[in-house]
Amino acid sequence: MIFEQAEFRIGGDRSLLMMLGDEMSFDLNFKVHSLARSIRESRTRGIIELIPEMASLLVSYDPDLISYEDLTSELAAMHQAMSHSEIDELPSRMFYVPVLYFDPWTRACVDDYRAKIKDKPWDGDLLVVMNGLEDISALRRIHASTEYWVAALGFWPGLCSLLPLDPRSRLTAPKYDPPRTWTPKGTIGLGGAITCIYPDQTPGGYQIFARTPMPIWDRSQRLEAFKESLALFRPSDRVRFIPISSEEYEDIERKVEDGSYKHPQVTYQRFSSRLYRDWLAGIDATTRV
Amino acid sequence: MFEVLKAGLETSVQDFPGRLGFWEQGFPPSGPIDAWSFRLANLLAGNDVGAAGLECQFLGPTIRFERDCVIAVTGADMGAEVDGSPLPLWESIAIRGGQVLSIGAARVGARAYIAFSGGIDVPLVMGSRSTFHMAGVGGADGYALKRGQHIPIGGGSGTPGWRVRQQCRPPLVVTRRWEIEVVAGPNDDWIDSAGQERFLTSDWKLSGKSSRTGFRLEGPRWTFAKKATRKLPEHGQEPSNILDHGYPLGAINLAGQTPIILVNDAPSTGGFINPYTVATAAFWKLAQSRPGDIYRFYAVSLHDAQALRRRIDGLCTRKSLEQVSGVRDHAPATPT
Repeated sequence: MIFEQAEFRIGGDRSLLMMLGDEMSFDLNFKVHSLARSIRESRTRGIIELIPEMASLLVSYDPDLISYEDLTSELAAMHQAMSHSEIDELPSRMFYVPVLYFDPWTRACVDDYRAKIKDKPWDGDLLVVMNGLEDISALRRIHASTEYWVAALGFWPGLCSLLPLDPRSRLTAPKYDPPRTWTPKGTIGLGGAITCIYPDQTPGGYQIFARTPMPIWDRSQRLEAFKESLALFRPSDRVRFIPISSEEYEDIERKVEDGSYKHPQVTYQRFSSRLYRDWLAGIDATTRV
Repeated sequence: MFEVLKAGLETSVQDFPGRLGFWEQGFPPSGPIDAWSFRLANLLAGNDVGAAGLECQFLGPTIRFERDCVIAVTGADMGAEVDGSPLPLWESIAIRGGQVLSIGAARVGARAYIAFSGGIDVPLVMGSRSTFHMAGVGGADGYALKRGQHIPIGGGSGTPGWRVRQQCRPPLVVTRRWEIEVVAGPNDDWIDSAGQERFLTSDWKLSGKSSRTGFRLEGPRWTFAKKATRKLPEHGQEPSNILDHGYPLGAINLAGQTPIILVNDAPSTGGFINPYTVATAAFWKLAQSRPGDIYRFYAVSLHDAQALRRRIDGLCTRKSLEQVSGVRDHAPATPT
């Protein structure tokens, strides 16, 4: 559900959570990013951090410059103003991410967790069962068959949260409890209904079942794609996963190593949320691809 | 410059208020967990409260100075010595080039802070000198201090012989029990009333599996309100799963049944609920607690939490300093 009025929650003495809805949908996420843009442009005094996420924004503020009450008033007003003037189209880059599904490294990571922390089914099998799929081939086909929308950054520098744009490719997964203390760099994970790519060897709780040799974060900005920024993705980018073989994986790794790798990307497209909504209306979301 | 002879356990360069404005991209504020002790150390050393200094955790470093400067050590008692003689805490001390400062194991408290006149002069990264070691950014080449490094310090002019008034210092406890102020929310309404009562009336033990990313707690089970189980599938299957959202600094993040207090190097977002958030003013208590210590959480209003923080900010000014009678100096004694 998308809320008529934004809801606010106190987040300690220096931040608040502004909730625009409680579902995971493209429309809602699009609103979140539009609102974040408006808030930034307003340059409201006292706002320090703005963290847009799936359906909400975390706003951190300096209580010596603005009170919680004044801040929530201003944010509510901006939300109202924005609701009356829809932004319909955004430039949107597309990245093709080469992926080795069911790779040995994520397997080894899961085995390590099972040996040291807690027993659990292998993540690929768990995803097949939880989503009523035939087998892991179906998992690979379905996961790779849609474009993904970069709905949020955060959690870790370079990490992206991806929403599938084709509802027929929707998959859900529980999270690890307790979380893993490490995950191989480049792992593709699924948690809730979000796909993420781990930019580094970080802790994590998503189910893991594939890996990309393509870096999405580069502190030293060595490769061409990182000339402007240490992190590859920005909100409103899109991603397509391209299944590859082990040989192709190794080949890409070599090119990354020697500095010649060029990230496959398309930067001349715009994403129209109106055309997207029209397309959605014409497909049967209860089927699988 | 000073040379690192022994690195200690995760000693890092931090500044205050840390790295601001980049949390959306995954860079947390970092900075000192006990910002109260940290700021007072800087004032003693003649710096602005925010200058870069060292945070020592549990086991401190040994460093050799390569130039004269004025320093101050505050926070935990970690058996600080200069050239083998005990160094008083909460005082500004003149150091000569060649002298060796050693910080040992924490006896009372857990984190000590060392300020240097002029501040530590490593490069700014995204506006701050604070270390975010998980991404290899800031501080001494992105990570905790390493043996053999030479760390530059600025050319400030501190004055020895100043001390922080006793009543202006954070009151470290020896009882190993702490009262930690929390503000309810953002997701306290996901916990049922029995669970809320249980949280606020139980002992929570600080686990050894804790770090600047998060302080893991051990305690009773959490029980959930209907909201936590009657929700759309995209939130996730477990009661503590929620649609990914921003994490406030200080949030008590509930990963399944595992509460983890998100401190200075914590992730910015994730998919678990945050039923309560530790007040900024209680962070120094987190910083000074050791695995095995017991926390009792105490709910305060937003208004009161902000007042508590303002009070500590008010103590981090020169008004908290007084002169020590008879200037102390650690130069080697001249033979008579």
